[in-house]
Amino acid sequence: MAPQDRLNALSEGGTATLEVPPATEAGAPPVLVSVRDLCVSYGGHQVVSDVSFDLPRGHRLALIGESGSGKSTIARSLLRLLPAGVGKARGTIEVQGQDVLTLPERHFRPLRGRTIGFVPQDPASSLNPVRTIGSQAREASALLPGDLSKAQRHQAVVEVLQRVGLDDPERVLASYPHQLSGGMLQRVLIGFAVLPEPALLVADEPTSALDVTIQKRILDLLDELRDSLDISLLLITHDLAIAAERADSVVVLKDGRVQEAGPTARVSSAPTSDYAKRLHADVPALNPDRYADLRDVGAARRARASDEGPKIAVRGVSKTFTVDRSRLTAVDDLSFEVPAGTTHAIVGESGSGKTTTIRLLLGLETPDAGSIEVAGERVDGRTHGELRSLRRHLQFVYQNPFTSLDPTWKVERLVREPLDRFRIGTKDERRAAVREALDAVGLDQTLLARRPDALSGGQRQRVAIARALVLKPDVIVLDEPTSALDVSVQADIVQVLLTLQAELGLTYVFVSHDLALVRQLAHTVTVVRRGRVVEEGTVAQIFDAPREDYTRTLLDSIPDAHHGRTS
Amino acid sequence: MTTITTEAPQAPGGWKPSALRRGGGSRRVPPVGVLLSFTMLLLVVGWSLAPGLFTGQDPARGVPAEAFQGPSLAHLFGTDHLGRDEFARVVHGSASSVTSALVAVAIGVVVGGLVGLVAGFIGSWVDVVLSRVVDVLLAIPSFLLAVVVVSALGFETINAAIATGVSAVAVFARVMRSEVLKTRRAVFVEASLLLGGSRWHVLVRHVLPNASRSVLNLAVLQFGLSILVIAGLAFLGYGDPPPASDWGLLVSSGKDYPLAPWLVYAPAVVTIATVLSANRISRWLRKTD
Amino acid sequence: MTDTRSRRLVSRPYLTYALQRVVQAAVVVLLAYCFTFLVISVLPGDPVSNTLRNPENNFTEDEIARIIGYYGLDQPIHVQLWESLTRFLRLDLGVSLRSNLPVSRAISEVIGSTVVLALSALVVAVVLAFGVAYGVRNLPTPLARPLRALPSLFLSVPNFVIGLLLINVFAFQLGLFFVTDSEGGTATFFAAVALGIPVSAQIAEVLIANLDHESRQEYASFATSRGLSRSRLFWRHLLKPSSLPVVTVIALTVGELLGGALITETIFGRTGIGSLVQRAVTTQDLPVLQAVVVLAAVTFVVVNLVVDLVYPLLDPRVDLRGATKRVRPVTEAVPA
Repeated sequence: MAPQDRLNALSEGGTATLEVPPATEAGAPPVLVSVRDLCVSYGGHQVVSDVSFDLPRGHRLALIGESGSGKSTIARSLLRLLPAGVGKARGTIEVQGQDVLTLPERHFRPLRGRTIGFVPQDPASSLNPVRTIGSQAREASALLPGDLSKAQRHQAVVEVLQRVGLDDPERVLASYPHQLSGGMLQRVLIGFAVLPEPALLVADEPTSALDVTIQKRILDLLDELRDSLDISLLLITHDLAIAAERADSVVVLKDGRVQEAGPTARVSSAPTSDYAKRLHADVPALNPDRYADLRDVGAARRARASDEGPKIAVRGVSKTFTVDRSRLTAVDDLSFEVPAGTTHAIVGESGSGKTTTIRLLLGLETPDAGSIEVAGERVDGRTHGELRSLRRHLQFVYQNPFTSLDPTWKVERLVREPLDRFRIGTKDERRAAVREALDAVGLDQTLLARRPDALSGGQRQRVAIARALVLKPDVIVLDEPTSALDVSVQADIVQVLLTLQAELGLTYVFVSHDLALVRQLAHTVTVVRRGRVVEEGTVAQIFDAPREDYTRTLLDSIPDAHHGRTS
Repeated sequence: MTTITTEAPQAPGGWKPSALRRGGGSRRVPPVGVLLSFTMLLLVVGWSLAPGLFTGQDPARGVPAEAFQGPSLAHLFGTDHLGRDEFARVVHGSASSVTSALVAVAIGVVVGGLVGLVAGFIGSWVDVVLSRVVDVLLAIPSFLLAVVVVSALGFETINAAIATGVSAVAVFARVMRSEVLKTRRAVFVEASLLLGGSRWHVLVRHVLPNASRSVLNLAVLQFGLSILVIAGLAFLGYGDPPPASDWGLLVSSGKDYPLAPWLVYAPAVVTIATVLSANRISRWLRKTD
Repeated sequence: MTDTRSRRLVSRPYLTYALQRVVQAAVVVLLAYCFTFLVISVLPGDPVSNTLRNPENNFTEDEIARIIGYYGLDQPIHVQLWESLTRFLRLDLGVSLRSNLPVSRAISEVIGSTVVLALSALVVAVVLAFGVAYGVRNLPTPLARPLRALPSLFLSVPNFVIGLLLINVFAFQLGLFFVTDSEGGTATFFAAVALGIPVSAQIAEVLIANLDHESRQEYASFATSRGLSRSRLFWRHLLKPSSLPVVTVIALTVGELLGGALITETIFGRTGIGSLVQRAVTTQDLPVLQAVVVLAAVTFVVVNLVVDLVYPLLDPRVDLRGATKRVRPVTEAVPA
C-alpha cells in the first residue's frame, strides 16, 4: 500500500486513528516518522488529542490549523521542546523506529540536529542576540562528523550559507543577528538546520514573519534543499494555500484533533470534513470571487459616481522623515482617488510607505508636499482641533486589535467613546447606537460588560469596527485589519465589512500586503514600493494584466495550489 | 525607522498554547501563599487599629518578678527586662510601624506620582527638569537621605515616616513617568484621539487608569520596604524614644539581652512576615496584570 | 554593516550619547549638592547656638566669629548656598563644626573601612546572586523551587536582623570572631555578608527573571534542537544576555550598599562613614553631613555613568541611533 493511499484510507475512515499496516512493502519509501495516538496536555489542559499520522521518507507533510489547533505543539513534542514540567505528551512518536517520547535524553540528544532538524517560526528571535552569527555557526558545525578540522568545518558553514542563498557568508558570520534582515536570518536558520544533513526538517511557520515575496523565495529554497539533500519535510502552517502548493499530503487540525488527512490534491480540491471545507472556503487565495456579489454593489456605485468627484483625493503627496541625520523618504509623490462607496486597496510590503500613507490621510502626519482631500475637505496642514469635525466622517481601524483597545475599559464604553466625545444624542440614544453598531458587526449583546482581555482576537476586531461605525462615518480606513487574525475569523470580518459597504455605501481605504485578500474585496488598487506608486488600476487590470515586473513578482508569490509542484 | 506605531502582526499559530497563557494568573482564586499574605497583613492592620482586641496585657506595665520569661502560653513572645509582655508591646507597636509605612507610601504615591505624571505627559523641558530632580533623589542613597531628612525634622516616628516617603518619591516618579510614556504611545490612546478625544480626556480616562496598575503594585511593594526603612531608623534611635515600641526599637533594645533571644526574634519575625506578605502580594498583582 | 567594537566607540551616535550622559551626571551632582544643602538648612534650631556655643565644645568667641564668617551663616540662605557651592567646586568640603578640622580629613580617616566593607559586600552579593540563579536553573525541581523564594525572603529581612543573627551565631555561639576586634578579617567578612544579603536579593531577582525570559526565547529552543546540552545552553547562550543587564542593576545598588553601611557598621561596631554620619547627626555637624551625602551621590552618579558609557559597548542589542535618553534594556529592577 503506497503511503498516499494509506493516508487516504485514514481520512476516508473519518478518523485518523485507524490501524495502519506497520510493514513497508518493497518499492514504497519507508516511514520516517510515525505518530500514533498522540495526546499533549499543558497543566491538565489537553491541547492535542489522539493525533496519528505517518511521514514517509522523502515526502512533504503539512500540519494545517488555526491558532489553538495544536499544530505547533505536535511539532514541539516531536522535537521534545515542550516547556519542561508543564507540557506532558502521551502516545508514541517514532522517528526511524525509535520512540522519541520515551527515549532517555542522552540517547535523544544525538538525534537532535543530526536526524531531526528544526526551522523555527520567528527568525528575529531565533538566534542569540548577543553573539555573532559566526560563533553560533561554530556551535552548529559541532554536529558535523568529528574528524573534520576547524578549517573544514568553517568551509562547510560557508558552503551551506552560500547554498541557502547568502552571497557574502563571511560578512554574515561577522554580524550580530539584529544587523540582518528577516529574510537573511531565516536563510541562516535554514542553513544551520540543514548543515548536518538531517533526515527530517521540521519547519514551524517558517515564513509567517516575512514579506510575501521573501516568503516565496524561502519556500522555494526549502523545496530545493529537500530535492537535493533528500530531506523529508514536516511543514507547520496556518495557510492552507501554502500547504496546497508545497506539500504532498496534509493533516488538517482543529482544537488538537485531526479533522481530515490525505494527499494534498484531494484535500484541497475535494475536502470531505466540514472543517476542511470551511477552511478551504475561507482562504482568499483559493476563492478570489467569494464576495463577488457584495463587491458588485460597490462596483455599480463606482460606475454611477464617476461624475460626482472622488470621495478621497490624494495628490502628489510626499513625506520625508529625518532619522539620525539621514533623510528617509517614506512617501514620494503619491496620488490616488477613491470614488464614494468603493474600496481602494493600497498594497505593498514592509517599508513600502503604506502605513505612512494612512497616517497622512488621517491627519496624524503632515505631508511635505501635495494635498489630501476627504469629502471635499482638506486634511493636510490642519490641527487636531480643526480636524475634529472631519473625524466624525473619517474613521480608522487598526491592524492589531490587541493593542488598539484600552484594556481597562469595557466593550460598552469602548464603543460609546466616540459618541461621548462628540456629544451625540442623549444617554439612551447613545446606548441604542452602541447596540446597533454591535449588531451590525455581529457581536452578541452579552459581551457589553466584558473587557478586551476576555474577548478573542476576532471579537476584539469587531469591537474596533463597531467603534468606527458608531459615528456613522462615510469613510473607514483599515490598516491590515485581519493580519493578526486566523483565516476563518478574517473571512467573517471581511464578510461584515462588505455587507456594511453594500448596505451603507461606506468608502474603504484598505491597506494590506495580502494580494489574495485584496482581490476578494477591493475595487481599485495602488501597488506601492519604497514610497512610490508602482502601478494602479482596477482589480481586474492589476490581477489579470499587470504591467510592471514588481506587480508580477507580488502576484507570483500568491500560493497557487493548481500550479503547485508535485513530486 | 520612522515614527510609525503599528506593531508587528501577531503571527497566527504561535506555538505557546493558550492554556499556558490562561493558566498563569487566574484573578479569581489567588494562590494559598497570597491568601496567607493577605491574612498576615489584615492581622497587622487589626493590631494597629484595635490592639486591645488582640492582647489583654498592658504594654507599659512591667511585673519585675516576671522579667526575662521565655515564650509561653501566658506570654506568647515572652517578657522583657522589666517583665513587660513582649507580645503586647509588638501589638501596640504595630500601630506606629504600620501607620508610618502608610504615610510614607502615601507621600511617595502622591508626590512621586504627580511628578511622574507631569513629566511624562507634558514632556519637553518640563520632563527634562523633573527627570534631573528625580535623578538627584535617586542618586542620594535612600537610607542616608531618610537619615538626613529625619535629622532635619527631629527624631520622631512621624518624621521618620516623612523621611521614608521623601526617599521613595523618586521611585514612584520614575515608574509613573515610564508608565505614562508607555501608555501615551499606546495605540489605543492614538485611537482615542482619532475618535475626537481631547488631551485631558486621554490623560484622565486612558493614561491614568492604565498607569495606576503598576503604581498600585509598586505601592504594595513599597509598603513592605518602608516598614524596613522605618524599622532601620527606629533601630538607630531616630524614631520615638522608649517606651514607644516600634518594631525596630524593640529589636534594638532586645539586642542588649543576648540571653533572652526572643526579644530580638519576636519583633524581627513579625517584621519579616509583614514585609514578605507585602512582597508576595505585589508579585501576585504584577502577574495578574 | 560589519560592526566592530572600535567602530561603535567612535561612532557619532555613541559620542553624542556619551557627551549627553556626562553633562547629565555633572548636573545631577550639582543639584544633589544644592538639594542636600537646602534640606539641611531647614533644620529647626540654630546650628550656631546649638553647636558653637555649646560649652562642651570649647569654642572661643574668635573661633565662633571665624566659623560664622567662613560659612557666611549670617548671610541670607541663597548667598550661603552660592558660597558653599563655589567652595565645593574648588573641592573644599568645609570644616567640621565639632572638631574644627577639615571635613575632608574626617572623611579620609574613616572612608577606607567603609570602602572595604562595601566592596566585600558587593562581592558577596554578586557571588550569592549568581549562585542562587545557577541553582534555580540547574538543580532538580525540589531544590530549585525553595531556592526561587530565597531572594524574596532576603529582601524582607531587615539588615540589622541579619547582622544580629550572624553575630549571635558566629561570634557568640561558635566564637569564629570577636566583636571587639571589629576590623579583623573574619568580622569584616560577616559584616559584608550582612550588608550583601539584601543586595544579592535584588541582583538575583533580576538575574532569575532574565534567565527565565531568555530560556523562553525561540533561540533557546533552536539551540536545543541542534543538540546542545542543558548546561551548555546555560553557559553559552543564556548567561550572557541575562547577566549583561545585571551590570546596570549592580550599579544601582551602590546606594543600597552605602545606606546599609550605616546600620551594619553600627551593629558590628566598626568605625566608618556610618559612624561618622551618626555622630554628625547627633551633634548636628552640618558640614560633615553635607559632605557625606554629596560624596555618596557622586559615587552613585560616577558608577552609573561609567556603566552607562560602557554598556552599549558590551551589549550588541543596544541601538544608539535615535536613542537620546536611556539606552538600558529592560532590567525590571526591583525598585529600591
